[in-house]
Amino acid sequence: MKLLQVNDLRTRLPSAGSEVDAVKGIDFSIDQAETLCLVGESGSGKSVTALSIMRLLPDGVVSHPSGNIELYPDPSTPIGEAATDSNSPWRPFNESPDQPLNLLSLDNTAMSRLRGRHMAMIFQEPMSSLNPVFTVGEQIVEAIEFARPGIAYAEAEAIALEALRDVKLKQPEIRYREYPHKLSGGQRQRVMIAIALACRPRLLIADEPTTALDVTVQAGILELMRELQEKTRMAMLFITHDLGVVAQIADRVAVMQNGCIVEQGTREAILLRPQHPYTRQLLAAVPENLSRQNRPEITPDALMRVEHLGVHFPVRRGLLKRVVSTIKAVDDVSLDIWKGEILALVGESGSGKSTLGKALVRLLAPTHGSILFGGTDIGKLGSAAMRELRTDLQIVFQDPLSSLNPRLTIASTLTEPMAAHGIGNSHKEREDLAAALLQDVQLPVDYLWRYPHEMSGGQRQRIGIARALAVNPKLIVCDEVTSALDVSVQAELLTLLLELRERLGLTLLFITHNISVVEYISDRTAVMYQGRLVEFGATADVCDNPQHEYTQKLLASVPRLHALGNAL
Amino acid sequence: MAEASSVAKAHGQPESSRSQSLGTRVVKDTFKKRGAQVGACWLGLLSLVAIFAPLLANSRPLLQRVDGRIESPALQYMTALDLTLLLVFLVASVLFVLRVRFRNVVVVTAAACAVCFIALSQIVSPPKLSVYETYRSTNTAVEWSIHAPIPYSPKDYLRDFGDTGLLPPGADADRLHLFGTEENGADLLSRMIHAARLALGIGLVATGIAMVLGVFIGGFMGYFSGVVDMLGMRLVEIFESVPTLFLLLTFVAFFDRSVYLMMVIIGLTSWPGYARYVRAEFLRLRNQDFVQAAVAAGLPLRSILFRHILPNAVAPVLVAASFGVASAILAEATLSFLGLGLIDDPSWGQMLNQAVRSSTFNWWMALFPGGAIFLTVFSYNLIGEALRDALDPLTQRAESV
Repeated sequence: MKLLQVNDLRTRLPSAGSEVDAVKGIDFSIDQAETLCLVGESGSGKSVTALSIMRLLPDGVVSHPSGNIELYPDPSTPIGEAATDSNSPWRPFNESPDQPLNLLSLDNTAMSRLRGRHMAMIFQEPMSSLNPVFTVGEQIVEAIEFARPGIAYAEAEAIALEALRDVKLKQPEIRYREYPHKLSGGQRQRVMIAIALACRPRLLIADEPTTALDVTVQAGILELMRELQEKTRMAMLFITHDLGVVAQIADRVAVMQNGCIVEQGTREAILLRPQHPYTRQLLAAVPENLSRQNRPEITPDALMRVEHLGVHFPVRRGLLKRVVSTIKAVDDVSLDIWKGEILALVGESGSGKSTLGKALVRLLAPTHGSILFGGTDIGKLGSAAMRELRTDLQIVFQDPLSSLNPRLTIASTLTEPMAAHGIGNSHKEREDLAAALLQDVQLPVDYLWRYPHEMSGGQRQRIGIARALAVNPKLIVCDEVTSALDVSVQAELLTLLLELRERLGLTLLFITHNISVVEYISDRTAVMYQGRLVEFGATADVCDNPQHEYTQKLLASVPRLHALGNAL
Repeated sequence: MAEASSVAKAHGQPESSRSQSLGTRVVKDTFKKRGAQVGACWLGLLSLVAIFAPLLANSRPLLQRVDGRIESPALQYMTALDLTLLLVFLVASVLFVLRVRFRNVVVVTAAACAVCFIALSQIVSPPKLSVYETYRSTNTAVEWSIHAPIPYSPKDYLRDFGDTGLLPPGADADRLHLFGTEENGADLLSRMIHAARLALGIGLVATGIAMVLGVFIGGFMGYFSGVVDMLGMRLVEIFESVPTLFLLLTFVAFFDRSVYLMMVIIGLTSWPGYARYVRAEFLRLRNQDFVQAAVAAGLPLRSILFRHILPNAVAPVLVAASFGVASAILAEATLSFLGLGLIDDPSWGQMLNQAVRSSTFNWWMALFPGGAIFLTVFSYNLIGEALRDALDPLTQRAESV
């Protein structure tokens, strides 16, 4: 039973003085109780497609030069009711209540009747999509009252509570009266789903709903969405960049590139027998599918030894700022990093992995324990002595945009640390060194004169790596360096890091939440959970034979492409 | 897609070309706005008028031939300040024409300013006494003379014309006073031209003092936070509780009525606003990855503070400063309006005061100086607003690149 049909949709957006077609004539359809996954890299037009269907793009700015979006009426509603219901969007088209509606031709009043009752949307960032000054319950009730005008408040409340129960929030009666800030990211995303589903929409558009969540939480949300879909028989348009998620949730898949759908078909057809070169390229870039290289033999020769390290943050309250308690971000962690290895540090958000990474390069001062590097405890060094050692210890950050000073050219960014540590004798010589660094990270030399905003995310992250390499370090902490990047860019960056490690004899501490990246890149793996190190060993051992309960849960939650292949 | 286009762009350029910096782009975006253009035009005109004031409105001839000698009484009577302004303008224009980098122009101009003023105040000593009548009387020794476009000095009270006083424009058929005359009989336009210096000067110097103080104190509070921040914020609160106008009134009552004193007092009382802005920015930027990266690279504190944080924190301060200049001008005008401004030197506020001095409403004394104050304050506000808009969407656009 067809529910939505998109024909030759074009969406034109204004862009820097001219106009750009973000969506260039795409066709697809979704049936009732079906999940269509829209897959693609950033900038491929997935989100614009979703917003075009919901008509959430600003009127007058955005235009649709061609195409239509047809929403089919609900066959379970009698035709007569659709025609007489004063709130039906079909009402202005009284003569044909059984015909599909072209969403692009509707006015805003008609659209707002459709939103909520017929189609709903959930967004990527659960932290900012709830209004902080209303309770969870009020926000659900508001949506219900809007979709069903004239409903009694008590009835709306009952439906809202039911919706919270449906999304499996624990203690729904208590959650109902709580404000959003008390909920975790996963709980908020459940509330968002509850709001979207409270009015029983026939189509749910989910724009990267699990991207901002931890893997274990993501697994729960995906399962929930599947269950709810079976129960309500709604159709889902699920937008994601993660092919692992696609393997779990999709019935059919459409692959987007540069505003066009290059290939669509069933999940098995796309993931196991891709036809289009771009789909193949995407699948090949998934870390699970990257070709494994021969690893150099690592001898257990400790470059850095961490003993009983603790980083505690005091919680101060009251007038005199008395310390009432401490947050143990890193608690009694002991590990050693071997010379030349890639040690992966895995954990969910808030597990203290980034704090540990920053403490190891002394961006944070440890409160307990010691960090021995070359015989000295860098945790207790003064700032002048530490400055000398900083040539050996470098860090690359997650967000490639915010980690580069927007006002400095790449040349200044790269040469300044060299000058501070007396590398290179003249400005000219340092510029030559910087040019060589750019070649190391496979960027053209004329990028020296660019500013960060003139580069793409992947290129900026390469500059981040080049800056770390500028002072010839021994150990580089890579803090989620590929998390903000597309899979194909991630694949390039991972191979680059492996090559640099080999050529320059680097040691890397690779902090990530992505298990498949860990399996691809690391020699040994440390798993952190709530500030503590719960598992530590060779990557193969940790991944194939996890001991700790959390590690087992984590590995079970990872959406994998191969699971699909094995199941067939 | 973005990658492809930027690569294409790079190939189109010569290798040495350095691309547009953030600052250049902000300036361009600011002055794309019609409001900012109008504001900049008015302020530019006002600056030119202020610099060339002695050549525009002067009772003394610019050039004359007396007894076969060519002399320039206007030049002879110029003070060190007059000459400094002219010389600095000359230096800046030459540098601009030679297409020297903007930053260097500013540095050289500032240096020239200081050097000229110190040197000239030693060398130049204009005669203390000036008898304006000599230049007007039909002295037979004068063979020919070139006068300024407005042949009246701001302090030329036209005593030789008898009992002069408040006169509307065009009241006296013999003398041309475009904007009328003020209560002592001096030409209003001439006084307004010379008062432009005070208006621009007090705005820039007072705001400059406030900005330097605010940036330093706010920067240290923000970067070091903790105890430094707590003490700093108390200091900010103390200074914020001092009412500028009443402090000015008090100082004027006890000390000389000096422009410089006014500038310093306005500057000293208005820094807390800038300090708050800078503190907030430093607190935000301190934890940004690029600052952390600078720390991790082992860069010295000086570089972290002034190279990595400050340029990224200065944007809201610039916006606040453009409004601050306007309020400094208003403070001086208020003081002069209350009759507590400078005694003999012209000021727009003091002229406004005379609009209601006698029993009649002297409209020209209200319209022209009032209009000038309005336009100047409005111009600064327009530029400030355009600057804020130009800085605001920057982050979003940078992300979309």
